[in-house]
Parts: sequence; C-alpha cells; structure tokens
Amino acid sequence: MSDRRFSVTTLPGFSTIAVLVFLVLYIPIITLVAYSFNKSEGAGQWGGFSLDWYLVAFQNEQVRKAAMVSLIVATSAAVISTTVATLAALGTTRRRAFRGQTAIYVMINQPLMVPEIVTAVALLLFFASLKQITGYTGLGYMILAHSAFCIPFAYLPIRARLEGMDLTLETAAADLYASSWQTFRHVTLPLLLPGILAGAMLAFVTSLDDVVITEFVKSPGQDTLPTYMLGQLRRAMKPDVNAISTILLVVTLILLTAFALLTRKRD
Amino acid sequence: MLKHTLTATALLMAGTSLAHAEGELFLYNWGNYTSPELVKKFEETYDVKVTITDFDSNDTALAKIEAGAHGFDLVVPSAGFVKIYAEKGLIQELDLTKLPNHANIGPEWMNVEWDAGRKWSIPYQWGSTGVSVNTKVYGGDINTSAIFMDPPPELEGKINVIPEMGDVLALATMYAGGEVCSEDPEVMKKVRDLLIAAEPKWLSMDYSTIEKMVNNDYAATVDWNGSAMRSRLGNPDVAYGYPKEGFGLWMDNVVLLADAKNTENAYLFMDFILQPEHAAMLSAFARYGNGVAGSDAFMPEDMKTAPEIVTPAEFVANGHFVLACSGKALEYQTAIWTELQK
Repeated sequence: MSDRRFSVTTLPGFSTIAVLVFLVLYIPIITLVAYSFNKSEGAGQWGGFSLDWYLVAFQNEQVRKAAMVSLIVATSAAVISTTVATLAALGTTRRRAFRGQTAIYVMINQPLMVPEIVTAVALLLFFASLKQITGYTGLGYMILAHSAFCIPFAYLPIRARLEGMDLTLETAAADLYASSWQTFRHVTLPLLLPGILAGAMLAFVTSLDDVVITEFVKSPGQDTLPTYMLGQLRRAMKPDVNAISTILLVVTLILLTAFALLTRKRD
Repeated sequence: MLKHTLTATALLMAGTSLAHAEGELFLYNWGNYTSPELVKKFEETYDVKVTITDFDSNDTALAKIEAGAHGFDLVVPSAGFVKIYAEKGLIQELDLTKLPNHANIGPEWMNVEWDAGRKWSIPYQWGSTGVSVNTKVYGGDINTSAIFMDPPPELEGKINVIPEMGDVLALATMYAGGEVCSEDPEVMKKVRDLLIAAEPKWLSMDYSTIEKMVNNDYAATVDWNGSAMRSRLGNPDVAYGYPKEGFGLWMDNVVLLADAKNTENAYLFMDFILQPEHAAMLSAFARYGNGVAGSDAFMPEDMKTAPEIVTPAEFVANGHFVLACSGKALEYQTAIWTELQK
C-alpha cells in the first residue's frame, strides 16, 4: 500500500475536534462520578470526599432488590440471546447465499430499528393478555423481552467473527473425516468463542441498561436499577442515585473493555 | 455461576407466581415516595408483605393499569387522573365501612373537585406551586406572581422558571385574571403577552432549584413548596410566597383498583395511613403535607411550623387545583409554551 493513503487523522483540525468530542462526551459522566463521592447533598457544593452515598445506596433494601432483579434478568437474557444469536449467525454465514437472506437479517436486527417505545407498548399489551390467561406474573416475561432485544447485540459480533474466520480450517477438518459435529465442536466453536463472549457481554450490558421496555413489562416488585432510578426523577434526586449510576458505569466499562480486548484483531 | 443464576431465577419465578398467597399487598407508587418505616410498621402490625413498585409518570401508570393483568392493588395517581381511572372503570368505589379512619380526612380535602365525598380516593400527599424569593435581594411583597410575571428591578436577570407547562401557565393565567384551564381567547392572549414580555428578564428555565437558591445563583424561582422548604433549610434568606392572584395546588391520592386481588389488605393499608400518626410518617419521608386532620402533632419539628408546608390561613383561599387541561385550553397553553421556549 502507498504511504499516502487517506487517513482521517491527517485532516486539519482533527485533534481539536477529537478533544472537543471527548470533552462533551465525558465531562458530564466525570461530574456524576465526582459528585457520587460528595459529602454534601446539594449538587452545587463540594463538601469533601466521602463514601456515604454508596453506603446509603447499599443499605436501601429497594436498591438491593433492584440490583438482584437487574442481575438475574441481564444474566438470563445474555445467555438466552447469545445462544440464539450464535445459532442464527451459524445459520446465516456457514452456507451459500439463499433467497430471503436480507429479510432474515432485517428480522434478526429488528430491535435495533423499531423504536423501543413501540416494542414496549406492544409487549405491554401482549404480555397483559398472556398474564390474564396463564396467571403467571414472574420474571419470565422480562427475561423473554430482554432476550429478544439483546439478540442483535449478540448476533453482530458473532457474525463478524464468523465472517472473518478462515473456512479452510473447517474444510480441512471435514477432509480428515471429522463429522460435522466434531468440526463444530473442535474447530468452529473454539475459534468463535471470543465472538460469543463478546456478544454475551454486549447483550448483558444492553439488558442491564434498558429502561423503556422494562418499565412497561415489569410486574409488581420487579424494578430494575434503571427503573428504580427513573422513579426518583419526580422528587429531588439524591446523590445515592449518582452512586448507583457510578456502579452501573463501572460494570459497563469493565464489560466493554473485556469486549474490546476479545474482539481486538490479532495481527 | 450460571447454575446459581438459573436456580435463583427459578426460585424467583416460583416465588412470584405464588403471588396469591395470603398476607400480601401490591402498591404501585411514585419512586422514593413511600416511607420504608411506615411500610415496615404496617407489615409488622398486620403480618402483610408489602411489595412496592415505582412509576415515573401518571401516563405510564395508567397505561400499565389499563393493559390489565398488572397485579397491583393500590395506585397513587395525581388529582386529575383519579376521574380518568374512575371513568374507565379501573378503580372501585370505596366501602367506607371498612375505613373507620375515613373521618380523619381533613374537611378541606373531603369535597375535592375530582372526588366529592372521597368515595373513590383518599389523600396521600399534597403541595403547592408558588414562588421562592431570596429576601436579601428583594425585600418587597413576595406573595404575588409578579415576581416572575412582572419582576421588580432587583430580581431582573436572576429569576428561574421551572419548565413545567401546566404549573407555570396556571400561575400565569390566574395572574392575568383568568381561571386555570381558561378557554377564553382574550385571557389567553393576555397571558401570552405578559409571559413573552417577562421572559427576557428570566435567567433560565430549569428544574434544579434547590442548589441554586441555596448558592444564590437564583434570586427567585417558580417553585414547589417542598423544594422551597429544603432551599430555606440550606439558606435562611429564602422565603416561599403564595401568590395572591392564585397559586397552584396538587394532590396525589390512593385508589383501589377494580381488579385488586388483596382488597382486604388494601383497605387495611388505606385505613392505616389515614391515622394521623402514620400520615405524619409519610410526610416525614416525602416532605409534603398529607391531608389528614390531626397529623400536625406527629410531624417532624422542622415541618411542624414550616410556612411552606402549613399554608398560612390568610392565603388558603387563593389556592387552586391544577388538573390537566384539555381541548382548547391545552391548545392555547401549548402554543404559548412553544413560543416561550424559542
């Protein structure tokens, strides 16, 4: 390749714009994190460093319960959606192009395109009639809903990984009389694993952060951390909400870092 | 890890599907609005497990209840929504024989416009919308909406208006001599002209009033009484004014859902919070008045005499409920509001 190929980093003003973008993106978040360690209750005054609000948040039974629900739903949704997404990715890449392939892509990625509130209202009505018929009001509905909208988030990295994988290895395995299961188990799956893990993490984070669909689908006692925080809006927000936000932020950051490491191209 | 999660999930699902076990109550309330101490006391008194679920707006709550199979027993909608719930057949008329403490409802809260005789709803918390003023900056009369509608020179450029269309337009309409939700084009024209003329003298339209009043970033703001009290506790120069042209009132109410599964426990809970002592516990947590006569004696010291919580007698008659407007009134309000935001 020529040295003079186009690179965005050589455009005039690149660093200025980049710095500005990072400032706009991160200053509010840094402020929030800083104030979660603020001793005083007001948002305008700095009253010294303290971990009091974390203690307040941990001692709040509702917060603990919401955290539990969040974790259960996010873990279950990540497992289910990643399984489905892996099968879907295998089905859409490890074969010749077929009629209706685009339609399948669109269907799998539907949650990325349909406005969340539309899905939320639709699920509200649908689940309400299901609840009426079955009498079951447990967490199953929420796990199902979360699994559904997490599928594309799990699907995209897995598919990207599959498309970047060398088909010759699988062909070689088949040439050496490996059954299709053996090929999958010993060749495809190990190679695909980073993609699957990355997809699972993305799905987990997506489920953990969801507000709109959760707000409409939740049954009594099923507040998650984000809907609990939303409920605080009407009254003056207290810094314990900053503390919860910071914890959610840290969990998200850890998982996204792991995601980045897993999907990093090995050159 | 996975196995544990699955087990926990299974347990949780099993647990919630047994929701019809005896001794339960499902309350659907605004977030951070239900005193945990009160709930604990109720649970211990009657051996009833209370599950609280949060909502963030009347509209969300109504949508979920309307969809059915919601699993809640009691909801706490704002005044304007009680009638909507009743008209849609979502709530049931209260059996007053099961509410001996119904008589404790303050006489001024008994015949409210959304529920004459309190047959459908009981008071939960109420408050007012007025103005907070830093009395060091402005020493004149603060019991007027002129504070933001026709600001005195001392306050110009230091005024905040909360970005809440219904509350602000109610104050503005009453200031212009009209009634809340006026459909009179003359009146609404005047409201528009006054607001447009006043707007350049405002500093901002923002919700977070407490910190900024405490730090003297604002010298005045349209305010809710609860935040006005918290501002004063942080900065003794802040005082709350009840506009004589008319100030806004709001109230949240407990209603019993038509398809409640734990009706008996719901009655127990409603009767419980109508006892003055328990009503005061709700107030101590949410920091607003409660509408139960005799609860003052049990209120926390800093609320007992707070002029923001206990409306001074001379102003009581100037309070008017701000229910959601509809039709022409809403059209006018939206048009004015849109112009104001430009």
